[in-house]
Amino acid sequence: MCPILTEKEAAAPLRSTAPDTRQLLVDHITAGQTDFYRLAFSYVQNRDAALDVVQEAVVKALTKVDTLREPAYLKTWFYRILLNECMNHFRQSRRLVPLETSLDERAAEGRDPGERLDLYDAIGKLSPREQAVIRLRFFEDMKLEEIAQCTGTNLNTVKSRLYKALKKLKEMTGEEIEHES
Amino acid sequence: MNPELERAKERYHSVEPPEELAFAVATAVRAGDQARRSRHALRRSLGTALASCACFVLLVNTSPTFAQAVYEVPVLGRLARIFTVAEYQIEDQEHLIDVRLPALENTGHTALEQRINTEISTRIQSLLDEAEERARSARAAYIATGGEAEDFMPVIIDVDYEIKCQNDRYLSFLITETETQATAFQQLYPYSIDLESGKELTLRDLLGPDWKEIVNASVREQIAQRSQDPDHVYWGGDDYSEAFTSIRDNQPFYLNEAGRPVVLFEKYEIAPGYMGVQEFEIPS
Repeated sequence: MCPILTEKEAAAPLRSTAPDTRQLLVDHITAGQTDFYRLAFSYVQNRDAALDVVQEAVVKALTKVDTLREPAYLKTWFYRILLNECMNHFRQSRRLVPLETSLDERAAEGRDPGERLDLYDAIGKLSPREQAVIRLRFFEDMKLEEIAQCTGTNLNTVKSRLYKALKKLKEMTGEEIEHES
Repeated sequence: MNPELERAKERYHSVEPPEELAFAVATAVRAGDQARRSRHALRRSLGTALASCACFVLLVNTSPTFAQAVYEVPVLGRLARIFTVAEYQIEDQEHLIDVRLPALENTGHTALEQRINTEISTRIQSLLDEAEERARSARAAYIATGGEAEDFMPVIIDVDYEIKCQNDRYLSFLITETETQATAFQQLYPYSIDLESGKELTLRDLLGPDWKEIVNASVREQIAQRSQDPDHVYWGGDDYSEAFTSIRDNQPFYLNEAGRPVVLFEKYEIAPGYMGVQEFEIPS
């Protein structure tokens, strides 16, 4: 019997790409797991779902680590995978609980304009992409260029999303948030 | 910094991860490593726009004589193999597409190789075209019903393959295409080729003229066995009257490492959706 390609052989060309990107990725994931969990939690607002999101992102990243040519992009590359998982789950959970959500929204519309929404809760009402920009910018203290890489867009799109999100947040909370790019 | 923003930031960072996070991450790393190992090297790139959900099985049965012959030629010591012919990612307003497309080489049957490779690429292409069309109309509907274009979550399309069996006699792999909108959607499109005759390999070739009875008996037995776990539910309850009666003539299958056929039932086919695709290894 002659296996066409044994596991060892299959793994060999991957291992030769020095430095070991897979190890860098695992280190990055292990070191940042709390941050990644928080970001996931902020989208899904549920412990088990947040764990799922992190797990799925990790599996996906490791499966595809060999497509990552430049280890310098590892951090933003992983964020991109994680954000995609977050947004996907956010979308699912939003569709799965339409009644609750629609009741919430109706309540929000009929709200007394004097009564303002808490900023944290207001962020959760933005579109998933706007949420990403706000959280990465203000909670993870990322630069706009980095956010562009993490979200797979360009700087101009990030800027316009940021302005739009801040405007919406101001409408919802009355808070003016200044930002410098 | 704005005090309200400061407070929101504190609340964001006050979320404490559960104890099992480290374990969950380690488990995911292992699963990821495993998936990574099952896919392998030699990739070329090809940049076309494509996208949907399907799953095919492609099975190649090289004859032992052929294997023997090649074995004796040192340069050709390595047999037929599956490699990634196309790998690309596309991200735009409507979809996130991630494709890893396999092809065959060194099977020793050029015409057959070409036929299979063309079949894979045309099949995937047409599925991707359909999926792209679906994504476009979903987006149009989203906007027409008052959604903001920018907020539309792109449809996620993933094409990948897994090698199920590779030895000097058989080559079997499974291509999966998954389309995720709110929920993932999957179908199976299998086909198997006998390299010697250049025909599709069937369960009959593997199991003999009584293949249907053999598979049915084995599946029935395995369903009964699995049903002992209360979490495993199949349609039809105890007598399986509504559920499994017989496999279809073209029931999808692949070969596992041991070279035994594994019969596949699509999601919902014989069990509730949460049971997923059901696989039954048929002892030979």
